[in-house]
Amino acid sequence: MAEKHKPAPMVDEVSEFEVLEIAVRELAIEKGLFTAEDHQHWTEYMHTLGPLPAARLVAKAWLDPEYKKLAVKDGVKASLDVGVDWVNSMPTKFGTPSDYCNLRVLEDTPKLKHVVVCTLCSCYPRPILGQSPEWYRTPNYRRRLVRWPRQVLAEFGLQLPEDVEVRVEDSNQKSRFIVLPVRPEGTEGWTEDQLAEIVTRDCLIGVAVPRPGKTVNDPRPVRPAINPYKH
Amino acid sequence: MSKPHFDREHHVKKATGIGDPQCFKGEAGPAKFKVGDKVRIKDLPDIFYSRTQVYTRGAPATVAELVYESPAAEDESWDNTDNPVWFYSVVFKQKDLWPDYPDTFANDTVETELPERWLEPL
Repeated sequence: MAEKHKPAPMVDEVSEFEVLEIAVRELAIEKGLFTAEDHQHWTEYMHTLGPLPAARLVAKAWLDPEYKKLAVKDGVKASLDVGVDWVNSMPTKFGTPSDYCNLRVLEDTPKLKHVVVCTLCSCYPRPILGQSPEWYRTPNYRRRLVRWPRQVLAEFGLQLPEDVEVRVEDSNQKSRFIVLPVRPEGTEGWTEDQLAEIVTRDCLIGVAVPRPGKTVNDPRPVRPAINPYKH
Repeated sequence: MSKPHFDREHHVKKATGIGDPQCFKGEAGPAKFKVGDKVRIKDLPDIFYSRTQVYTRGAPATVAELVYESPAAEDESWDNTDNPVWFYSVVFKQKDLWPDYPDTFANDTVETELPERWLEPL
């Protein structure tokens, strides 16, 4: 029998990256690039963000064809109706290099499925979707999704027929993306609240499709390493 | 000789209340390509910084949308906002990027955005 793994070591100290962040932050404050209050203000703003406004946007677009047209044409303007002002909600009032103010809403059809990745780093529409999940930032997802999209989607439990075009959106410049999935069958007559519930974060990234009764993200597939590290 | 003055906040002042890339609207001049044009991605040198993925270099693509005007990443990374260019959303056939992509899924595509300077007409 394979030798038993020891439990992972407890991490109760800051990592080197955290030390680096603190050092750079303190230097920036000392130099006067921003103040400690600015930093606190920004951090607190980031913690208020989540995927609910984007789910609301999709639900509204399903119910109102005019709103859907607006969302696809001008995502920033459509975001205002779900309480997200891409320019003025942010404490900086103009965006940051990580959060530029251009949202594109990618409309799926029965023959076209979008899925979003940032192969260069981890660009993510944070003002409307919150912080990205850990797997979205891993090299594993970023490098494999453009090359083997169907295999990666299958690992997320999404297998698409051959006649559906899979379009990988590589978010490499100033646009940020959410997916507007196809409204699933079995949701006829639903209210906006009911519809918004089934639009999960994974549906908005494009690695899942909404299903009636499914209101949470699936757990990520975790497979044992082929050559595991021996402690 | 006086010390040259460089306003480190010029970008912030320009974008505040308007947004980035919206603050560069109208500065790039006429667009060289239109929706539906066939283009090829140039393989330009990128010694310091670029956001043009290596996998797109030399590949043919189709312009899907003119998205916004902005300085190219190669300039903006050095705080040079003097020459905004048009950005295009271009669509690649997976088969053109990865020759061994399975024929069964020949419809599959990749879409990404690139500044005008990286595109040449095909």
